[in-house]
Amino acid sequence: MEGDQETNVYTLVARKPSFDLPTACPNCLPAYIYLKLAQLPFELAFNSTFPDSDELPYFESDTYVAYNNEDGGVIEKLKKDGIVNLDSQLQSLSDYLSLKALIVSWLEEALTYEIWVGTEGISTSKIYYSDLPWVISKVLFYKQTYLAKNRLGITKENAEQREKQIYKRASEAYEALSTRLGEQKFLFEDRPSSLDAFLLSHILFIIQALPVTSVLRCKLLEHSNLVRYAEKLKSEFLEASSSSPSPPLHSFPSSFPRKSSKPKSKPKVEKTEEEKKFKKRARFFLAAQFLAVVIYVSVMGGGSSDELEYEDEDD
Amino acid sequence: MENPAEKPDPNPSKPKIESEDEREELGDINGDEEEEEEYEEEDDGKPRTREDAIADRIKAESLFRRMRATPVAVRVHDVIVKGNEKTKDHVIEAEVDVVRQATTLQELLKASKVANFNLQALDIFDSVKITLDSGPPELPGTTNVVIDVVESKSPITGQIGTFTKAEARSSSLEGSLKYKNIFGYGDIWDGSLAYGCDHSAEVGLGMYLPRFRGRPTPFTSRVYLSTQDWLKFSSYKERALGLSLGLIASKYHELAYNIAWRNLIDPSQMASRSIRRQLGHNLVSALKYTFKFDQRNSSLRPTRGYSFISTSQIGGLAPDSRTLRFLRQEIDLRYAVPLGFYRAALNFGIAGGITFPWGSGYKSRASCVPERFFLGGNISPVCSLGGPSALWGFKTRGLGPNEPRREVQDDESGDTYERDFVGGDVAVTAFADLSFDFPLKWFRDRGIHGHVFACAGNMAELSENKYRNFTAPKLLETFRSSVGAGIVVPTSLFRMELNYCHILKKQEHDRAKSGFFMTFSTSS
Repeated sequence: MEGDQETNVYTLVARKPSFDLPTACPNCLPAYIYLKLAQLPFELAFNSTFPDSDELPYFESDTYVAYNNEDGGVIEKLKKDGIVNLDSQLQSLSDYLSLKALIVSWLEEALTYEIWVGTEGISTSKIYYSDLPWVISKVLFYKQTYLAKNRLGITKENAEQREKQIYKRASEAYEALSTRLGEQKFLFEDRPSSLDAFLLSHILFIIQALPVTSVLRCKLLEHSNLVRYAEKLKSEFLEASSSSPSPPLHSFPSSFPRKSSKPKSKPKVEKTEEEKKFKKRARFFLAAQFLAVVIYVSVMGGGSSDELEYEDEDD
Repeated sequence: MENPAEKPDPNPSKPKIESEDEREELGDINGDEEEEEEYEEEDDGKPRTREDAIADRIKAESLFRRMRATPVAVRVHDVIVKGNEKTKDHVIEAEVDVVRQATTLQELLKASKVANFNLQALDIFDSVKITLDSGPPELPGTTNVVIDVVESKSPITGQIGTFTKAEARSSSLEGSLKYKNIFGYGDIWDGSLAYGCDHSAEVGLGMYLPRFRGRPTPFTSRVYLSTQDWLKFSSYKERALGLSLGLIASKYHELAYNIAWRNLIDPSQMASRSIRRQLGHNLVSALKYTFKFDQRNSSLRPTRGYSFISTSQIGGLAPDSRTLRFLRQEIDLRYAVPLGFYRAALNFGIAGGITFPWGSGYKSRASCVPERFFLGGNISPVCSLGGPSALWGFKTRGLGPNEPRREVQDDESGDTYERDFVGGDVAVTAFADLSFDFPLKWFRDRGIHGHVFACAGNMAELSENKYRNFTAPKLLETFRSSVGAGIVVPTSLFRMELNYCHILKKQEHDRAKSGFFMTFSTSS
């Protein structure tokens, strides 16, 4: 199995780098950092023409693909499929889920708001549209802004109220995370976890990709230990990748069990198959009817054949 | 009755006729010209007496003698348009410019026929009548051309048919609705809806102008929204919103410009590696030049003649360097040889195509999947003129470079294909087809005939540095080929073939098998 493991090439397909970040996409950066924290060797590839795709980032190895819009995201899918799991011994802790909910929900919401609404999309051209023509960029920008507002539940009536709520929750999240982290190296003492990947990417993105006028950025900078935490991990895992520490922090499993993550119910499958068969038969029937009518009109009608021959001669 | 028709024409060349004779002969001129266009006026000749008949015959003989000896000089003084309420005068006058240049009576008669045909070809008039009247009395030897048109009372026409479009690479059923002459410039507007048996659909809105600001060639423009579903074969779905402009359209040359926003998506999330890299948005800005020379006696069943078509396309013509940049070239050559018995004929065809990206880093960049070549399908190579497209016996997109799809974690779908066909950057096809009539008269009357055929074709990849692996012996070694025989039924909508195919050579993963197939083609 080691031979197979060695020949396997892992590739993370993300959006293009910018703002001194390996990938400027706030959805792709957590996956990148997660793989770096796990010290899994992988290649980075880019797709710069699909800004409205929810499949990006995706992780691939030969015919195995982990899309971001399946099973709760790339990181969750990598865990379930046994590729790499940094949280195997942490999920039973009591505060793991609460911290995860805090980061994945409140901070994610605040970041989405800040990218598309708070800063009016100043950074989006470099993140999403640098390789697209101007016309397509404009249309997709308005589309994605509209979708982001819908996702955040923002309307003209509740815009101010929602903004206050989002920033208030972000401040509370930063306060809680700052207290939790203290001066530790990771959120869970000395072991990296997926929550570190999420938090680190969140902080790095805000500091480097958002403009200095960003409200969220100002709130984040109030907590200096979060900033130090991000800078320390960045220099250790992202910048000095060539001189990584010799002992790997996490040993990879010897086999990659790839079990079915979502077994579908049989009755549903059978019904679907029956419907497919019925549709196929109906389509075949209609085609046969049409064909029969055309052949009858053409073959049995003597005048039309004469016309056809005449046309042939003209051609 | 032609004799009386020609009789009064020498009168305009006789300037010094007395007033009474001139008045009488003017009436004759009008009546005779009307007879030339519509034979309903023959009744006017009945009341003439025997003496008049004799006189007419004498004059006609004299006219014919003069016309045989020397051309009768005549000059067009003016073109008068009547009956047009909506259509602009200049639209009609432009179509009859050829009449103005006539200098003899013989030329004038020919030019009138051409002008009549041109006006009918605009497809916006119910009837067209052209009569020749005498010119002003003070200008001897001149004539006025009077054009009397009746505009279409119902400017809407519907049409349904089957077409084979090279871009869709499949037959499609199309319905269109045309609205004619809305603005009086001879314009034709049409809305169309096309649906293909390979799940492709297109909604289009087009406009056709026979003349655009005095230019001699027609101008066409079309806005379209099309979707093509290739999930089954290549794991992607294509959507395009575009504008197409026909710039030049003459007998042999055609130049068109196309700009489209194209989006490739994969709702099934089963795509292979190459297809995954291709998903996203693209702006296509391309210029397309087509040279077509077709001397075959028929496009559905050619038995004599040859045809050649060459299509060149360059993409990336935009100030924005982020549009799709590619070059594409297709050629197709056909030759038909009659054999002299049972209306038998041997048809040869060879087609080739190549596409490649251009711009910085072009050697290592991948060409765009929709611009690549795909072979196979349920159309007949005999009718698909334009480039490499069809092979008998091979399914749609059923051969060529392919890659494994994303692995399936469930075992529910057993009939799902496991590979994506990603297309080729270079493709070559060739075929030979021997068609012959059946002895029975019943079949001959309806055009049903038989044919025996053989075909071969292959594809290869060049982009993404794969041209280094491309060699001619390797291409020849992996050629696919098939032979067979069948019955051809030409119908009013398409050409239907019932064939038995035997696959001579195929490669691993090709979707081809020997057996009976039905193909449907239209003349392209």
